[in-house]
Amino acid sequence: MQTTKFPGIFESQVGRKRILLTKNFVKGKKVYDEYLHTEGPIEYREWNASKSKLCAAILKNINQIGIKPGDIVLYLGASSGTTPSHVSDIVGSEGFVFGLDFAPRVVRDLVFLAKDRKNLAPILADANKPETYADRISTVDVVYMDIAQKNQTEIFLKNCNLFLKPDGYALLAIKARSIDVTKRPSIIFEEVRRLLEREMKLIDYKTLDPFQLDHMMFICKKK
Amino acid sequence: MATKYLFTNLLGSFVFDEQFKVVDSIKFSSFDEYNDSNKRQQTEQKLTSVHNPKFTTQQLLEKPNSKILQQILPYFKSKDNFSNFYSQNMALTASLIKQAVNEDDFIIQAINNIEEIDKVANTLSKRLREWYELYNPEFSRSIESHEMFVELILSKTKQELLKEIKHDENLLGADIKKQDLEPMLNLGRSIHELYSLKQKHTEYLENLMDTYCKNVKAIAGALIGAKLLEHAKSLKHLAALPSSTIQILGAEKALFRHIKTGARSPKYGVLISHPFVSRAKQKDRGKIARALANKLALAAKVDYYKGEFIGDKLRAEIDKKFS
Ligand SMILES: C[S@@+](CC[C@H](N)C(=O)[O-])C[C@H]1O[C@@H](n2cnc3c(N)ncnc32)[C@H](O)[C@@H]1O
Repeated sequence: MQTTKFPGIFESQVGRKRILLTKNFVKGKKVYDEYLHTEGPIEYREWNASKSKLCAAILKNINQIGIKPGDIVLYLGASSGTTPSHVSDIVGSEGFVFGLDFAPRVVRDLVFLAKDRKNLAPILADANKPETYADRISTVDVVYMDIAQKNQTEIFLKNCNLFLKPDGYALLAIKARSIDVTKRPSIIFEEVRRLLEREMKLIDYKTLDPFQLDHMMFICKKK
Repeated sequence: MATKYLFTNLLGSFVFDEQFKVVDSIKFSSFDEYNDSNKRQQTEQKLTSVHNPKFTTQQLLEKPNSKILQQILPYFKSKDNFSNFYSQNMALTASLIKQAVNEDDFIIQAINNIEEIDKVANTLSKRLREWYELYNPEFSRSIESHEMFVELILSKTKQELLKEIKHDENLLGADIKKQDLEPMLNLGRSIHELYSLKQKHTEYLENLMDTYCKNVKAIAGALIGAKLLEHAKSLKHLAALPSSTIQILGAEKALFRHIKTGARSPKYGVLISHPFVSRAKQKDRGKIARALANKLALAAKVDYYKGEFIGDKLRAEIDKKFS
C-alpha cells in the first residue's frame, strides 16, 4: 500500500490496474461490496471508481480534492453512503461528515451506516432549502455535492454561501443528463463552469469517463 | 440597547452579541428538549427574559438575510460539538424517517409485490407444467391459464381431467407412482397459495386506492393507478405532472432514446395495459392514451387536494368516447 498525494488516500497496483483505498474507520465492516485488504495492523477498503465519482476524479488525476484528515464535510446527496463512507474514512476520528439526502429510503441505510461510524451524521432534508437544516449543522471546511438535479449549481452555491468557511474547498459532481438531456454534455459543463466562476475560484475539473460517462467533477474554492 | 441574536439549534439555545460572540446559552441534554416545542419555547423564554435579544434567528431566517447565519454558524464548528451533533441528528433523522412513512409507500410496496408474485408464480407454473407433462401432457396443453391449470390438477384425477377435455386416451403420459406424483401436486399447492396471496394483496391495494386516490382509481383501475403512482414516486408528484408526462410514464427509456437519437417518441407507457388502449387499433392508441392522461392529471390533482369524487363523471366522459 502506498500513500498518494492526498492524505488519507492510498493506492496499490493490481495487475495493470491502479486502485485506491481508504483506511477502514470501522474495522471488519464492509459498506457495500468492496474488498478489504489488510496490511499489518491496518485494514483498508478498496474504493470502487465506477460507484464513486470522487474516486473516479482522483484516478483521472484531479489536482485537488480538498478533503483531508480532520476536516468537517457537508455531503449533499449522501444516498446510501457509498462515497460518504470513504469520506468518513479519510477525515477519520478528528473529522466529521454531515451526510444529507432528501429520500427517506436511502437515509434509512445511512442511519444504519452511521450506527457504527460515529463521525457521520445522517440528515434527512432538501438541499435546496438550506435554511431548514441550518440548525442541524455547523460551518464546514468542505462542501461536496452530488444530487443529480436540474438546478444543482444554484443549490450548490446557496449551500457554499451559507455553510462553507472562507477559503474552503467545494466539490460538485455534474451528470449532464440530469441538467438537460437534449444538450451536448460539453455545452452543459461549460454553462456550469461559467455559473461557478461568478462566485467561486475554480481550481480544477475533470470528466469522469470511462468510470462514469458524461459526468464532470468540479473543484473550487470560496473567495 | 445593543442588538443581540437568539439562535436555537440541535445543541441548544444561544444568545449572540453584535460581534457574534456567544454571551449566554442553555445546552440541550436530550433530543426531547429540542424536539418538544413547549420545552424549547421555555428555554428560549428563559434567555429572552434575561437578554431581551432583538432578533431571533427564526425571524431572520424568513428574510433572505442569511448574512447573520453565516456569522453564527462558525461558532459551532468545534470538535467538542461533534458527538452532540451526531447523537441529536441520529435522533432527529430517525424520527423524521418514521414520520415520512405514508400511503404512497404502502401502495408502491403492494403493487411491486403483486407484480413480483405474478413473475414467481409464472416461473413456477412453467416448471410445474414441464414436470406434470411427463404424466398428463394432453391436459396441460389444453388449458392456457396457469391459474386454472393449477387449480384443476389439484382438484381432479387424471381420468376426470381427460374426460373434461374429451380426450379418452392418454397417449403420451406415463403411468407414474403416487410417490412421484405427490411432489408435483405439492408444488401446485404452493403456486395456488401464491395466487390467493396475490388476490388478497390486490384487495388490499383496491382499498388503499379507494381511500387515497379514488379518482385516479376510477379512471385507471387500482393496478394501473398504482403503477402510475409508483413511477411518479408519490401522489404529490403525480398530481404535479402535466398530462403529457402521465401519458408516457413507464416509457422513460424510449423517451430518452427519442431525445438522444430521434427515434419515434413513445405514445404511452404504463397506460398500454389499460383496456381502452390495449383493445384499440395500433393507430388509435396514442390518441386514447392522451385522453386518459388528460383525465388522470385532473383526477390526481383532485385526489391530492382531497377534493370531491368526480371520478365517475370523468370516467363516463371517456367511456362515451372510447368504449
Ligand atoms: C447520484 S446519487 C448520490 C450518490 C452518492 N453521492 C455516492 O457517490 O455514494 C444522488 C442522490 O441525491 C439525492 N438528492 C437529489 N436531490 C436532492 C435534494 N434536493 N436534496 C437532497 N438530496 C437530493 C437523491 O435522493 C440521491 O440519493
